[in-house]
Amino acid sequence: MHKKMAFSFPDEVLEHVFSFIQSDKDRNAVSMVCKSWYEIERWCRRKVFVGNCYAVSPRMVIRRFPEFRSIELKGKPHFADFNLVPDGWGGYVFPWIAEMAGAYPWLEEIRLKRMVVTDESLELIAKSFKNFKVLVLSSCEGFSTDGLAAIAASCKNLKELDLRDCEVDDLSAHWLSHFPETYTSLVSLNISCLGSDEASFSALERLVRRCTNLKTLRLNRAVPLDKIANILRHAPQLVEFGTGTYTADVRPDVYSDLAGVLSSCKELKSLSGFWDVIPDYLPAIYPVCSKLTSLNLSYATIQSPDLIKLVSHCPNLQRLLVLDYIEDSGLEVLASSCKDLQELRVFPSDPFGAEPNVSLTEQGLVAVSLGCPKLQSVLYFCRRMSNEALVTIARSRPNFTRFRLCIIEPKTADYLTLEPLDVGFGAIVQYCKDLRRLSLSGLLTDRVFEYIGTYAKKLEMLSVAFAGDSDLGLHHVLSGCESLRKLEIRDCPFGDKALLANAAKLETMRSLWMSSCAVSFAACKLLGQKMPRLNVEVIDERGPPDSRPENCPVDKLYIYRSIAGPRFDMPPFVWTMDEDSGLRLS
Amino acid sequence: MSEVDMAVIKPEMMKSYIWLQTADGSIQQVEQEVAMFCPMICHEVIQKGMGSSKNYAISLPQRVNPAMLSLILDYCRFHQVPGRSNKERKSFDEKFIRMDTKRLCELTSAADSLQLKPLVDLTSRALARIIEGKSPEEIREIFHLPDDLTEEEKLEPLKNTTDDPRIRLLNRLYAKKRKELKERQKLKNIEVEEERVDDRSVDDLLSFINGDNGDSKGIKNSKSKKKNRRRKDQQKNTSANEAIKNHNKEPNGLNQVCHSAEVGQKVRAGVGATSNLHDVEDDIFDNKNELDDGDIDDEIDPALKEKIDREVEDFARRLNSDWPERMQEILSFGHERKPVHFSLNGNGSLRRYANSEQR
Repeated sequence: MHKKMAFSFPDEVLEHVFSFIQSDKDRNAVSMVCKSWYEIERWCRRKVFVGNCYAVSPRMVIRRFPEFRSIELKGKPHFADFNLVPDGWGGYVFPWIAEMAGAYPWLEEIRLKRMVVTDESLELIAKSFKNFKVLVLSSCEGFSTDGLAAIAASCKNLKELDLRDCEVDDLSAHWLSHFPETYTSLVSLNISCLGSDEASFSALERLVRRCTNLKTLRLNRAVPLDKIANILRHAPQLVEFGTGTYTADVRPDVYSDLAGVLSSCKELKSLSGFWDVIPDYLPAIYPVCSKLTSLNLSYATIQSPDLIKLVSHCPNLQRLLVLDYIEDSGLEVLASSCKDLQELRVFPSDPFGAEPNVSLTEQGLVAVSLGCPKLQSVLYFCRRMSNEALVTIARSRPNFTRFRLCIIEPKTADYLTLEPLDVGFGAIVQYCKDLRRLSLSGLLTDRVFEYIGTYAKKLEMLSVAFAGDSDLGLHHVLSGCESLRKLEIRDCPFGDKALLANAAKLETMRSLWMSSCAVSFAACKLLGQKMPRLNVEVIDERGPPDSRPENCPVDKLYIYRSIAGPRFDMPPFVWTMDEDSGLRLS
Repeated sequence: MSEVDMAVIKPEMMKSYIWLQTADGSIQQVEQEVAMFCPMICHEVIQKGMGSSKNYAISLPQRVNPAMLSLILDYCRFHQVPGRSNKERKSFDEKFIRMDTKRLCELTSAADSLQLKPLVDLTSRALARIIEGKSPEEIREIFHLPDDLTEEEKLEPLKNTTDDPRIRLLNRLYAKKRKELKERQKLKNIEVEEERVDDRSVDDLLSFINGDNGDSKGIKNSKSKKKNRRRKDQQKNTSANEAIKNHNKEPNGLNQVCHSAEVGQKVRAGVGATSNLHDVEDDIFDNKNELDDGDIDDEIDPALKEKIDREVEDFARRLNSDWPERMQEILSFGHERKPVHFSLNGNGSLRRYANSEQR
């Protein structure tokens, strides 16, 4: 049989094979194989992911993928979460909606992260896409409940409305009543970010009652505890539930009502909410705990004994978000009870206090790493760490894929030896060969970057703050980390040299953020000149960078690769460096 | 013996058979219930009355050679038996599908031409699993596909339409840039001979680029100097990396921030895949010694140092005035470009990032 014949399929067959390949990475690989595969793949790609909305223009996307049904866009850099990106920087979704509204009336799903979404955009979505099904807005801002009302009123096939961590202008809680009485297709609703003291409970109740396919419901803080029972009564099929405020006068009837209704929810796997929780009402959830795989207690300001009791009822827990009130003792119980734990996030209850308010140290993390064989993702805030602990953690848990350690005070040394934590983090990258995401903290020299450059070959995202001694640190990372896509740096002594010497590397990454470092304006200009495929943006609220000497460091620098050229929607405090080597103001 | 007698003695002779002919001319007979499992054959028998004898054998599509037919018939023979459990069927499928990729491709193709959907699904899924996780080069090799995407297309996989000359210009620019970077790569690989016993530190080389007269001290010294040099003003309140919002001391609001430090799940940008562009050189890092607490290298690995030196040298060459002609060309292309003005603005109300709000 000729080789050629054997591997030539009709297009439909190849398309059928591709339909079983869904990850973006694999689809990209497929499209790069050869001309014919590229063509076939492009026509049958249904989900498009754009990690940086400025890397490509909407028109380009639409032209290349004529038949997509689902789009995911990300806007602002990650450090926007920590107020490092000034308001008005950008990330507007409207141009995308406008282009798609014209070209794609059959669009079904829009997922956005860190973008500015206006009511106008929401109204346009509601008007343009007749079969619209999924809207997920993650850490977005710029819209009000009026926009939500438009969505509710027009999107008859809406299945998912998820507003996680958004900032919404709460003009009126009555937007919920805009869902027509005939509307029943809701499967997932997350309104946990909404404020609104006056929630329209009856509308919510009616909505829940008629949407019998509802699987996920995350309420906002305004929903009082005694109303939850009424809502849950109509939705025993829920799989994921987020309470509102979890406090009320302790009344036996409210308690038994709640406990009764919760225990009838046989499918419940995930719980969240728990604002203002009072321990007396916690046992109401014990009946469902044995089935829980995900528990988000990051708003629950309860103390360790109550947390321990709760956690020991949940043997099947895979994901836990909790405040540091859990303490080392609680984490030890977690380690012995929850052998399926995969992800743990421990948040600080009092990060600005001078002294620790709880007994949570590196020991808790060590305990969990030793005790939970499936643990792969960790975000841990604490006040002290040691190299010894990190090495133990690394050795016992080489399957970490995400390791984010946040020692609250910058430049904190190993508390046992007073040395930098280079060796500890070095062990993490050496043993955890599949590490994809790493956040550093504590006292760190250039050496830790040498370790990272040497060992962290699968690392895709690195977050650095108050670390390193010289450009060599940055050079190690840029030259060594082969899989690096996102690098974000703040307050480190990295300057021009490493950046310029590794300019080509930047084209292989999605983005680089550097703020309060030592990169000069001259270097930024040079970079912008030499690298036409990079957008080099200087963010400086002090005024135009050329009003200061060229060797003056810029305040913030955001570099990202783009085939769409420099953007034109920049605010006055953002300048782009391009080949014309001058400044271009928007 | 009469025919009836024969029927009694050999009951299996009364079984119905379908006659099939493959593209190579060979003809065979197959049990009816097995063959009819294939929709295409079923259609030929019922609608066209074919297959009842050798002379009226059903001509199978070209993609079905005898070997493939045999496999397909094995599949049909098993699955057409009604009593089997799902578990049995699944188990059979898993064993059945184990074959080399070439045969798998042939089988997919053959099954498709016979419209045998369950087998097409089974084989397609198997092929998809083979493709998943591989690079374009690897996929090309497995399936013997040509590497026929041009440099431009690889860089920016867009159909080069005439309505945007800027894109074409960009493509040319990027293609040249790509070639240049590739050449630089080749240069490095050839450079093995060049035994640069280099005493100069990285700092020296870098400062050479910048035209300074940098110190000639070793890295170690400069490192210790720099340790004290940059005492960052700690008034920038935010502490460590997963920094906390300054003005929000409420734990709940804080958690909102921490929540926002979500883990990004997606792997690569979906458009304009540039994943295979950068021929990442296999590093020459030696396997360092076990990271025991007391046993840490103080020097930089000499191989690493050499590599740094070479890279820096390359860049130095670029920055100096003796640029290759190509670079000059690129610069002049850059000047020709006319900016395209969009009429987009950030629209609508821009909200203040309401930090003090409890959520």
